[in-house]
Amino acid sequence: MANIAAQRIKREFKEVIKSEEVAKCAIKVELVNDNYTELKGEIAGPPETPYEGGTFVLEIKVPETYPFNPPKVRFITKIWHPNISSVTGAICLDILKDQWAAAMTLRTVLLSLQALLAAAEPDDPQDAVVAKQFKENQDMFRQTARHWTFVYAGGPHKNSDFELKIRRLTDMGIEDHQARVALSSYNWDLERATEQLFS
Amino acid sequence: MLNVIVPRDLYDKTALTGTMGDEKQVSSTTFDTDANQDELIMQQQRRIEKEISETTALVGDLEGLGMLEDEYAGDDVYCQKVHDLAGKYKSMRRTRPDGNCFFRAFSYAYLEQLLEDREEYERFRDLAAKSKNSLVELGFPQFTVEDFHDIFMEVIDHVGKGPTFFSQKELHKMFNDQGYSDYIVVYLRLITSGQLQRDSEFYQHFIEGDRSVADFCHQEVEPMYKESDHIHIIALSAALNVGVRVRYMDRGEASEVIAHDFPEGIHPAVHLLYRPGHYDILYP
Repeated sequence: MANIAAQRIKREFKEVIKSEEVAKCAIKVELVNDNYTELKGEIAGPPETPYEGGTFVLEIKVPETYPFNPPKVRFITKIWHPNISSVTGAICLDILKDQWAAAMTLRTVLLSLQALLAAAEPDDPQDAVVAKQFKENQDMFRQTARHWTFVYAGGPHKNSDFELKIRRLTDMGIEDHQARVALSSYNWDLERATEQLFS
Repeated sequence: MLNVIVPRDLYDKTALTGTMGDEKQVSSTTFDTDANQDELIMQQQRRIEKEISETTALVGDLEGLGMLEDEYAGDDVYCQKVHDLAGKYKSMRRTRPDGNCFFRAFSYAYLEQLLEDREEYERFRDLAAKSKNSLVELGFPQFTVEDFHDIFMEVIDHVGKGPTFFSQKELHKMFNDQGYSDYIVVYLRLITSGQLQRDSEFYQHFIEGDRSVADFCHQEVEPMYKESDHIHIIALSAALNVGVRVRYMDRGEASEVIAHDFPEGIHPAVHLLYRPGHYDILYP
């Protein structure tokens, strides 16, 4: 029974590849190394959400004790979402923690993450700043998330107003992503973002 | 608002000013704020589990109850109960306290008996073989259920060879192989969950709060390492039609170790010793 984790991942790999979601380009999984300990996942942003049209890349690390313990998953693609850290990509999702069950699979994980993008849980946040905006200014949140999807995940919605504000900051020597984070955190209030960056 | 923003402020400032000596301190504290706290807790849990796994076998060797007497020397309440227990049971077998102990203790004790009991073995094998489809019908993913069922049946088939070809010693070895052992635990957790959901109207009364039976199963039954309560025992014994007698040893007033039979009125095949938070196997 040596190497249960690798055996199981091999079988799961086939399961995902054959699944109908792959056919619809909704989820995807690829090997990163030959020993099945690291994989790259991909999920499409769900329709009618600010993530629509974007493709989000995930880092999946399979522990030796898989499937008895959950895979370690984080977003590589930067994303603006209450349950995902905009800094590290760390995810707050119960099935990746104490609600994991060995009967779940990588496919379950990818589909659950997709569901998380469609239904955030701001009361159990991973990113407090995003969660606060989500609760207090839903429209601002949607615009910001859509903008991040455009910039980092190849989404279709360009926001010229936001771009312009970022340009104002990059002209002052601030790095592009830095500027975006500051503006996003301050509801795109250029003055306050500038203040914070230079204080 | 300010309170929430502070960590990010610090983070950004450090990144902006580069790695100047003094700032390093700041960036490391900030990193902690951003670190996934749940993950840190999980890491610590894993460390504790590792420590336990290095000192306690998944299922231990047969031992006399004398060991228990030594363990509780000087504790009058427990000594009295150990004495009572020693009058009723010859020996015991410890299991690893990893939250899976009920499932592991139950399956070990039961399969051990099936080595010697052909008739009961046939009944159980038939039931186990059919269990997969009923789980799939309940909506468990076919792919993983099959995986666990295959290994479960492999172990049962070994047991079916009887004591001449497959000895107690080999069963012991299998139960101490983390792979086989945990697969058995997972499959029994699925069977338990299946029973709860199939008969959810009945079990709903045992669940506190406003959780549905399905929620309870996802949160407390299906995940590994989640400890078992009465409801788990009732459901598993009902699903397999195997009687369990649990002897409770705690700080309660009585001088005896109180017995609970699941389900009531059927001859218990498996005897377990319960001490708060943990189950071991007892041998009459």
